[in-house]
Amino acid sequence: MIVDGFFIAGAILCAVAVLLGVLATIIRTYPDDFALVAVALLEVFLVVYGIAAAIRQAGGQAISGEPWEFWGYLLTALLIPVLAFVWAVTDKSRWSNTVLAVSGAIVFVMLYRMEQIWDGALPA
Amino acid sequence: MSEHGRNQVRRSRIVDAANRKDSNKPVRSNGGRSSGLGRIIIAVYGVLALSATVRAVYQILLDFDAAPLAYLLSALAGAVYIVATLALASKKPGSWRLSWYAVLFELVGVLVVGTLSFALPALFAHPAVWSHFGSGYGYVPLVLPLIGLWWLARHKMPETREQGAGK
Repeated sequence: MIVDGFFIAGAILCAVAVLLGVLATIIRTYPDDFALVAVALLEVFLVVYGIAAAIRQAGGQAISGEPWEFWGYLLTALLIPVLAFVWAVTDKSRWSNTVLAVSGAIVFVMLYRMEQIWDGALPA
Repeated sequence: MSEHGRNQVRRSRIVDAANRKDSNKPVRSNGGRSSGLGRIIIAVYGVLALSATVRAVYQILLDFDAAPLAYLLSALAGAVYIVATLALASKKPGSWRLSWYAVLFELVGVLVVGTLSFALPALFAHPAVWSHFGSGYGYVPLVLPLIGLWWLARHKMPETREQGAGK
């Protein structure tokens, strides 16, 4: 199922963002470029995910939960990497990397929830 | 190792590019209190202030008679969280002292109310921010003041800035 491919890709990106953020917190005293790029990629993924979801929904595929809930989660999730990125660029400290890591974890939780709403395949 | 100093070597190209635009602006400092980890602490305080206040207002409006003491204490806690959030982020002289007392007040509050909620459970039958040492909020109300006081002790007033900001 196409949805699961998206979920796996997104989960990997989230994991990379979290790992790089945690690692950079330990070894850097400034925002790390790789951690920043990982979070930026996560944002790109969410945009692609949203477009794909719109296409699937426009094509008449059934959604197992509430569509407004799905889109609510997606819109909120889209804000999170942006906020973390702005935070990191303006704060410029070791702890910016922690914020980047946390943003990856939050996006993962929201992505998990979106998948549940979409096809109900993941355990609650 | 500096976590918030202005002299540290920056080696992030993305951050350097963003800095180039506003590097000429003068920076007002409050001793580094609201940057780095401090900024995270302020953000968590903000979230706690918002959730505690909104929930207390909701409980007071809809269900005040069920547990008036617990709800009023929640409202008080929410108000002090708001004060703490603003004082921590402020750059005004005196804000350090205000945030110190606000955070200290929360620590005392959560300890006293937490103890009372176990000693006199009848008064705290309904959920409140500080009851059971903040267990309804993942013990954040208990842990956050400790982290806050430690952070504030390391980042003293702007008047004595160089002491606090070094290391």
